[in-house]
Amino acid sequence: MKKFAVILGSAVLAISALLFSQAKPARLFIKNATIVPVVGERIEGGGILVEDGKIKAIGKALQAPADATVLDASGTFVYPGFIDSYSHFGLAEISSIPSTTDFREMGKENPELRAVWAINPHSVHFGTGRVTGTTSALVAPAGGTFPGISALVKMDGWTVPEMVVKEAATSFINFPMTPRPVGEGMAVQKESKEDVTSKLVEKIRDYLKEARRYLELKKLAAAGPDVEAPEYSAKYEALQPVLEGTLPVIISVEKAKDIELAIKFVQDEKLKAIFRGCAQGFKVADKIKQSGIPVIIDSLYTGPSEPEDGYDAAYRNVVELARAGVLISFSSGDSPAHGKDLPYHAAKAVAFGLSPEEAIKALTINPAKMFGVADRMGSIEVGKDADLLIAAGDPLDLKTEVKQLVINGRAIDMANWWETLYEKFKGRPEK
Amino acid sequence: MKPRIAAIGICAALLLSLSGWLPAAETAILLKNGQIITVSGETITGGDILVQGTKIVKVGKGLPAPAGAEVIDLGGRWIMPGSIDSHSHIAVEGEVNEMGALLTPEVDCKDVINPQDINIFYALTGGVTSVHTMHGSANPIGGRGISLKLRWGKSAEELIFVEAPLTSKWALGENPKRSNMTGAGPARYPRTRMGVEESIRDEFEKAKDYMRTWAEYEKKAKAARESKGKNPPPLPPKKDFRLEGIADILSGRLWVRCHAYQSEEMLSIMRLCREYGVKLVCFEHGLEGYRITNELVQYGVGVSTFADFWGYKWEAYNTMPQAAALCAKRGVLVAISSDDSERMRHLFNDAAKTVRFGGVTEDEALRMLTINPAKIMGVDRWVGTIEPGKDADLAVFNRHPLDPFTVCEMTMVDGTVYFDRAKYREERKKTEEEEKKKEPEKKDGGEV
Repeated sequence: MKKFAVILGSAVLAISALLFSQAKPARLFIKNATIVPVVGERIEGGGILVEDGKIKAIGKALQAPADATVLDASGTFVYPGFIDSYSHFGLAEISSIPSTTDFREMGKENPELRAVWAINPHSVHFGTGRVTGTTSALVAPAGGTFPGISALVKMDGWTVPEMVVKEAATSFINFPMTPRPVGEGMAVQKESKEDVTSKLVEKIRDYLKEARRYLELKKLAAAGPDVEAPEYSAKYEALQPVLEGTLPVIISVEKAKDIELAIKFVQDEKLKAIFRGCAQGFKVADKIKQSGIPVIIDSLYTGPSEPEDGYDAAYRNVVELARAGVLISFSSGDSPAHGKDLPYHAAKAVAFGLSPEEAIKALTINPAKMFGVADRMGSIEVGKDADLLIAAGDPLDLKTEVKQLVINGRAIDMANWWETLYEKFKGRPEK
Repeated sequence: MKPRIAAIGICAALLLSLSGWLPAAETAILLKNGQIITVSGETITGGDILVQGTKIVKVGKGLPAPAGAEVIDLGGRWIMPGSIDSHSHIAVEGEVNEMGALLTPEVDCKDVINPQDINIFYALTGGVTSVHTMHGSANPIGGRGISLKLRWGKSAEELIFVEAPLTSKWALGENPKRSNMTGAGPARYPRTRMGVEESIRDEFEKAKDYMRTWAEYEKKAKAARESKGKNPPPLPPKKDFRLEGIADILSGRLWVRCHAYQSEEMLSIMRLCREYGVKLVCFEHGLEGYRITNELVQYGVGVSTFADFWGYKWEAYNTMPQAAALCAKRGVLVAISSDDSERMRHLFNDAAKTVRFGGVTEDEALRMLTINPAKIMGVDRWVGTIEPGKDADLAVFNRHPLDPFTVCEMTMVDGTVYFDRAKYREERKKTEEEEKKKEPEKKDGGEV
């Protein structure tokens, strides 16, 4: 193992020196790796050739071209880089200090706001967030009913444009949540007398209706002089691709009853939806499956939505959704400081019955499918972006070290805030 | 974090009903064929633990079952001492911060234990058997904390870990400064770290005067008693419960648990404690402790910290998940604690992170969950390892507790099983089936 580390270490140094110094990305060849391509069979002792940021070739018999930088990955495992399906990377540095947070705008209806405008590419959380293998993340705005538009980014780059995969990846709707009946206990009435949730859903429907009317008027005005064009609305304009079903919309929803309402809402409004959360999804897993709506799992460092769901509800939920055949993906949740926990959430689900293969898919190819980038991300296949994680063992294991990440074909600098502190303070002489 | 205080719900009801399956207190239990992580010594493969009443009486291989003993076959599963969460706020009724005054050593968590807090059960599901539950961090000197054994279903009084020393919660930095509070009442002194330290020192001097006054009174009263009526008895001074609380700190009766993040602040308070002879046992969180390991070791103060919780405020920013490991490697007594009713459910996962980040041995990581917090809480004579004579506080896992895919399957406190996942699932299945049966009945009833 030590020998490997030395080999890999020096190889990485050599690669870094080469890659950083050359304007045009060099060819990179990873050899002797156990390749877990996610789509297709695992390859023992295989090679991956990377050219111009893309995977050029994969195979057992593959030989390194003479001009390629060779990375000997003996004893390690190569996976597609993980995709974090919901995060605030680059939008929040220290959550309690308002001047360092940029993910929550005032007001309830902000469908036009774009996370991409506010991302700080040099946030320390990109560096610490990728130590466990995350190479891409959905960066999301939050708050209100329509928080805005997320960006899908790579976890490395000098500027935001360099990082961006999709500037407008998804829109958002925060679905109203049915409150728990006042008071605790079985004796308390199960439903509140007034159906508050349905009323709030009606409000969202009204808003979408207004947006549709605006877009229709605009179309009519463009077609003829008889109709006056409506006053420009950035908000309604931003909802156009959502209403046309071309821009996916992430709908945050937790309770079983609300999920059923949300499914109906999505079908009525003909949206291309992705659910996020679904804490009580296990109660209506078959209905979610039937709807074809995928689910982004929130942080699994969470207790049950309601005590009746059982202490293990959060983990069991993932297992039941996967069993029903729902397309699921994992996310690190609200705190970019804890982005590195992404694979650990997956591991927690595996502990309670999700298959490790499903867990890996939910970190790679599944989110790629959800965000419409399965043609370029989410697996190790020829022609896809060379986003790779090279790990000393199972990347779901809390004890496994990720040795190196490759993003857009580049072996990136793995330095981060934690390492900086560690290197400095482990050097303090002991008394 | 809103504590769920419901003692209802399926899980709660289930667990309360568990008592029905439990053996009587003095019955012997033989836990057979486990991988025993003793923490005190080597891990025993295929080992047995004999429990008599509330205590572990024997640990070894091939132990015979005494007559009438209940035998639990561990089937090669892992068993470790129950985890001890040395920084918790569960089972406290209502708020944990006494916001009304700056210093509140007169208040006591012991008076407001809520034995029905469902978080007690949640802790058990994560293999936690004891907690030190404490006052919040709003005050430079807050209230007293209390160590509990998680005897779920028992009364408040029966939860108390009676052997544990009493503690005093202190807090430095942003919380007592109220740096992150917006719009919550008028600003009050202190607003700086300078003021926080001074407010403590100030109260110490007042308490010393108070103690002197009482000592003089006692002296005079004694003299009056001995004079047999010649000297009139003196009038006692006024009782002041706040200063009594400080007096308990200055006399060393209370063990001080000091919430602090920044290294220099810790050094300052160590100087203060040394000056006044205060028994400072542990820094709570202590996220910058890794910077002053020499000083922590020299003083003999421990750190009750997080594996990797950070970045939520300025004073929690200058740290790393390697911090716990760096402290431990340099001889600081480190406990991994939760401060949170969710995090406490996966402390064993947190311990695994200290192996990955900073590279402590697995044995050291497990000590951070068991014997180390036991030492910090002053209960290492009773809990924290699997050894004859210790309390039978045990947790069974289907895989090694540091394995990423491990699940806690059974938790025992004082030889009594309070959580059994297999039985829990069985009961849940039954309940769900019964509920399914009920639904159509209702419908039929409506149609008739």
